[in-house]
Amino acid sequence: MEIKILFTILISTIFINNYVLSRILGLCPYLGVSKKLDSAIGMGLAVIFVMTIASFFTFIIYKFVLIPFHIEYLRTIAFIIVIASLVQLVEMVIEKISPALYQALGIFLPLITTNCAVLGVAVLNIDSGFITQEFGLLNSVVQGFGAGVGFTLALLLMAGIRERLEIAMVPENLKGLPITFITAGLMAMAFLGFSGMKIF
Amino acid sequence: MKYSDIVKTTIIISVIGFISAFSLSFMKKITQEPIAKQEQEKKLEALALVLPGYTVQQEKTVTIDDTPFTYWIATKEENRIVKKAWAFLTEKKGYGGPVQSIVGVDESNTILGFTILSQNETPGLGARCVEVASNETFVDHFITKNLTSKEEVSWFQEQFVGLNASKPIAIQKKGNWHKEMKEELIQHNAVTAITGATITTKAVTQSIEEGIQKLHKALTLQEVQ
Amino acid sequence: MDYFKEFFKGVWEKNPTFVLGIGMCPTLAVSTSVSNAIWMGIGTTFVLFGSNILVSAIRNIVPSHVRIPIFITIIATFVIIVELTLKAYQPAVYKALGIYIPLIVVNCIILGRAEEFAAKNNIPASILDALGMGLGFTLNLTVLSFIREILGSNKLFGYTLIPGFKPALLMILAPGAFFTLGLLLWGMNVIKARTARFKRTE
Repeated sequence: MEIKILFTILISTIFINNYVLSRILGLCPYLGVSKKLDSAIGMGLAVIFVMTIASFFTFIIYKFVLIPFHIEYLRTIAFIIVIASLVQLVEMVIEKISPALYQALGIFLPLITTNCAVLGVAVLNIDSGFITQEFGLLNSVVQGFGAGVGFTLALLLMAGIRERLEIAMVPENLKGLPITFITAGLMAMAFLGFSGMKIF
Repeated sequence: MKYSDIVKTTIIISVIGFISAFSLSFMKKITQEPIAKQEQEKKLEALALVLPGYTVQQEKTVTIDDTPFTYWIATKEENRIVKKAWAFLTEKKGYGGPVQSIVGVDESNTILGFTILSQNETPGLGARCVEVASNETFVDHFITKNLTSKEEVSWFQEQFVGLNASKPIAIQKKGNWHKEMKEELIQHNAVTAITGATITTKAVTQSIEEGIQKLHKALTLQEVQ
Repeated sequence: MDYFKEFFKGVWEKNPTFVLGIGMCPTLAVSTSVSNAIWMGIGTTFVLFGSNILVSAIRNIVPSHVRIPIFITIIATFVIIVELTLKAYQPAVYKALGIYIPLIVVNCIILGRAEEFAAKNNIPASILDALGMGLGFTLNLTVLSFIREILGSNKLFGYTLIPGFKPALLMILAPGAFFTLGLLLWGMNVIKARTARFKRTE
């Protein structure tokens, strides 16, 4: 049964409730880093990584620090500080362990602190009621991973389209952000087709 | 970095953290009472809605299948016969997280009332489960004052009233709901699904089915004790 | 210093969403109805106002290498104040805005203004900057939600506009948000191009 639930969470965060195209989270990096496919891949990997570990740590902090002391209302401040320090820590660790990976992800990591999708997934893990569930920690890590994959998917699709838009004939006033938003709208419409999908 | 710099930085961050924590706990103290009051009011309102005419006697929380289960016992006197009814809290995962609702049933398992407490479904699709079918237009609002200001029951929630909760509740796709449908739906023990949000509808009907089973377990447990 | 200019730059010349292109997530996600949009605008303006004052007040004593964590702590504190206040006195709004209230913390407008303006200017200028930016943000949200609520749910402030008319549901879903903003930005560009051409011919 547990595998089934995990699979449902994964599919629904990647496709049905895609963080960018359905929940409208994480637009700043989505618009900012989608100009080139290479940088989109780097950003996507960094986001998957940070979202997964952020889900893990925020869940633990909420369950074993905030709830026992009855300070659940400090959730926002606790999570943002955890995420910010986590990003810094990850940056330092990667720099020491693997300079090659640091070359690829390094410049994207600081940007992730203010990516609202990361804080969004941490908050949604709590709001989804995982706290009281038996495998809550596993569920929220999977949700974090799925959210990152969903973000990467949307980002890569967008980067692919924008690289082609560069050489397309776009009316002068539509160039830049307006055409990007309209493209995003069309993509969101396509993703809307996933809603109502029966997983099992 | 000089040693004095480290000390200075630490002091500044601690002071800021202290001020922030102090002001927030103060804020919490101010808002604690209104928040508790709001939640209590919301619960009482929901109970009054799902158990019309009944008086709530007791709130109970028991553990069934390793999960806490909350239910209320209510009574009403009619022609000198005391009638019993129960309300219970139930939830099931919809698309955007759990859909939590309170259901009121009488002794024959007929649903007396149903209301959704919290949901996080897609606006315009699943979130229509709390939509109120209002015909009051914007212009009406300005021309005639003092229109019916009381909150109406949502059409989706109203269609559960009168159904038998112990039998499976069927889902029919009949499109937008209107009052004429009610008779036919009750005969089939069915509800009409929200267009484009069958999953949400299913989550609700399943949560009712699961909830009533738990209620029966809880009641037998109560008799044993 | 031209205080009038500091205030109005947020509304037009340096409009956060349309010109600077920041703070997109709440703009798009919350603009499903005008009342949601206005409440979000008020909440964000309050946080902006508070954080700008505090950041400006402590701008000379904060060591520059730890300024970002300090700014985030200040901003998060104000966000929690908004969260608790709405929960206590406007529970319906709190429920409708959902996770977008805690997400005010990561709204780039707030950290951006703290870093770019409040950390360099005195308190009165920072207050005006915050109010102007907040007003600009609220106006953007209101315009967007006005279009989306009318087309997407045939309503305004929760009241039906034309009885019996079936609205385009798409407009209050995510695609509608992207389309509306894309078309509005296009309109802005057209106006800018026109005025530029007009000035040249003069």
